[in-house]
Amino acid sequence: MEEIEKTFSKEQAAIEAERCLYCYDAPCETACPAHVPIAEFIQSIRTDNLKGAREIIQEAHPLIETCGRICPEESFCQSACTRIKMDTPIKIRELHRYITDNTDPSENLELVPATKGKIAIVGGGPAGLACARELRRFGYQPVVFEKKQLGGVPANEISATRLPEEIEKKEARFVHHNFVSEVKDTTIKSLEELDKEYSAIFISTGLSGELNLDIPGNNLDGVYYSRELLKRAKSGAKLPHFKRVGVIGGGNVAVEVASVLKIEDPLRDVEVIYRRGTKELKAFKKEIEEAIEVGVTFQFLAIPKKIEGDKRVEGLVVTRAHLGEKDPSGRRNPVPIPNSDFVIPLDAVVIAIGQKADVYFPKVERDAKGLVKVSDGLMANVKGVFAGGDIVRGASTVVECVADGKKAAQNIAKYLEGGKNV
Amino acid sequence: MYKKIDLSMEFLGIRLENPFILSAAPPTDEFDIAYNGLKAGWGGIILKTTSVEGNSVPLKYPMMSSFGSMSRKVIGLGNIDLISGYQIDEIEKRVKTLKEVFPEKMIGASIMGTKKEDWQTLVWRLKKAGVDLIECSFSCPQGSMGEEAGRMLAQSIEATEKVARWVKEAAEDIPVLIKITPQVTDIVEVAKAVKRGGADGITASNTIPSLLGIDINTFEPYPSLFGKGAYSGLSGPAIKPITLRTIAEIAKNVDITISGNGGAFNWRDAVEFMAVGASNVQFCTLPMHYGFRTIEDLKRGFAHYLSDMGFNSPLDIVGKALPNIKSQDELPSPKTLAELVEEKCVGCGLCYSACFDGGHMAIDWDSEKRVPHFDEEKCVGCAMCMQICPVDAIKMKEKIEGSNSVYYFVEKR
Repeated sequence: MEEIEKTFSKEQAAIEAERCLYCYDAPCETACPAHVPIAEFIQSIRTDNLKGAREIIQEAHPLIETCGRICPEESFCQSACTRIKMDTPIKIRELHRYITDNTDPSENLELVPATKGKIAIVGGGPAGLACARELRRFGYQPVVFEKKQLGGVPANEISATRLPEEIEKKEARFVHHNFVSEVKDTTIKSLEELDKEYSAIFISTGLSGELNLDIPGNNLDGVYYSRELLKRAKSGAKLPHFKRVGVIGGGNVAVEVASVLKIEDPLRDVEVIYRRGTKELKAFKKEIEEAIEVGVTFQFLAIPKKIEGDKRVEGLVVTRAHLGEKDPSGRRNPVPIPNSDFVIPLDAVVIAIGQKADVYFPKVERDAKGLVKVSDGLMANVKGVFAGGDIVRGASTVVECVADGKKAAQNIAKYLEGGKNV
Repeated sequence: MYKKIDLSMEFLGIRLENPFILSAAPPTDEFDIAYNGLKAGWGGIILKTTSVEGNSVPLKYPMMSSFGSMSRKVIGLGNIDLISGYQIDEIEKRVKTLKEVFPEKMIGASIMGTKKEDWQTLVWRLKKAGVDLIECSFSCPQGSMGEEAGRMLAQSIEATEKVARWVKEAAEDIPVLIKITPQVTDIVEVAKAVKRGGADGITASNTIPSLLGIDINTFEPYPSLFGKGAYSGLSGPAIKPITLRTIAEIAKNVDITISGNGGAFNWRDAVEFMAVGASNVQFCTLPMHYGFRTIEDLKRGFAHYLSDMGFNSPLDIVGKALPNIKSQDELPSPKTLAELVEEKCVGCGLCYSACFDGGHMAIDWDSEKRVPHFDEEKCVGCAMCMQICPVDAIKMKEKIEGSNSVYYFVEKR
């Protein structure tokens, strides 16, 4: 499948880079969870020094080709851009992608020998890979436990229309080849399974489970869960043959799976069914725009009540809602309107209302949602066990997971080396 | 639907419909192009420099190159052009035709020769054809055809005076402009020589000898002709400050009419050229870049400026800035401090960086609020911070000791 968004031309990049003020102590860099030196790489675009720019980004972030495509920049760097006070923010992610699309990973690496201890990293997604890379730079030997392809959610679930497979594979391979001592093809579910040879452990398993929608009919044929469809699509398998599908949810996964379904078969009617209104959608702006562009429709203010059908899905009964008070997240809650039920005829329903943690590692303390509880330094209740990424934050972004991985690595080193600066 | 713009004025006894003239350059080299320029509304024209029959003009192509950024590609334009390949037999016909078609416009012609006989022949023939004005190129940076090979005529005081005299002698009542170069030790001495020679005015000035660039992979200069290049004449916005200085220095020291030329790119530049002493302004890079249609904004912008300022004629602004131009040692010595216009500041921190690494470490940076604080003890008022502020949020507050009056230096862009 072809990528939807195209990379900047040299002219576009040059003109956009010229708009950058090159702020001192640039606020975009502070707003980036991984603290990518944005003003510096933009300066290098201005001088057409793309190799130098690549090295600047690569130094701060292991998965830069991935982030150049899927980072929700409006939530991070771009929201802090000084130019907002003058006109419009610099298109930072596009400039970042312009660099990664026009350069190869810098092989100009010089690493200290890996003479320090082995660290177990459970889960080879963005947090795990970032942690491994950082630890290797400090001289440790990171060992990554991962049964699936390295790279986590971006590698295994994000649609190829947004992130071509070869790109994130190449990137994960680069980290593997240069920074990971060993990858073990096993699933670890308790601390005891790890030998004493590991000086510390980093749990970055992400969220492997999916939330169920508790309404009648959720066990009918034709009811699917979003992530299993995304994984099937990513692996190249055909999706089940259905013609009118309703995707329940309002987050990135819901919008993503809807786009994937529509792109696979443009004759298929794909509608996102969401309890709240447009403004409350949790999905990123860019993803919503792309979904609308490919022909996904949206049914707002519709609360799913019952999935209808004998054996197979025949329709979804929803109750019309209006927006009420704001909830703690600042979004307005849907309030059902009495006697407003109606039926949306469907032959498939995809549930995409969120992910949950699978509860492994019994000794590690968790909160009510099953997320690992950690200190400021990302250490769990067990000494020497650290955690980061979605298993700590809940569903988040690649760049936040990378930031956790980096931070955990620094704290692991601090923990092992007795508070010495690393 | 709007009132007709009247920018008419007198220049060396010639009536100009407006003070914007197409200079002796590619836009005046082909008959049809020159015709189109006049038709588009330019006030007058100086046909590209011609010479006597039999003079060979070995033009080489490509002849243009430029430097600038991606969003503004031509900040400076370079050429390795020479004088026109059309000689006096063709040019005298064109003068005649253009004068017939555009009797209200100034039709000038530029000439270049070597011997006295050539210069004077050119003048006589143009005069006979009905030319309004003669400009003498003493300053083509490339392939000079003056008496001394490889040198521009206007770089010699003696030659400048001598040739100006030959030309004026032949021209009699037809006004003569001498086009000089800023590439001299003392521009005032050259201007005085022009005046001694009897010419009516000076065109100040011309392109400036330059090297436009080097390909850093092949080490070939720009423009590259099979890998080889030569020095170019530089024009366009890049040379405007040099031209302003040239005009001002002549105007302050020599009583002679000046036609401004070199780097004016819009009506504001034209106002500045005239404010330092030019009576009209010649254009070449602007129409070459964006076409003759640019005359519309020139006229309208200039006219609005004049009426907003309460001037009646373009000539009202000639030399207005001259009394304010002094030598550095004649300037007052105010105590100066940078002052922040807080509501304008966007918090980029560039002033802090500039002062810390290139000023006097006189700005403190509040990284929480992203605001600069100026240290009155350390600030000398150099105005570096003001130059680089992207939103013009810094102005310089000047005070003279023992006086209560305060003066603010701000640059309007």
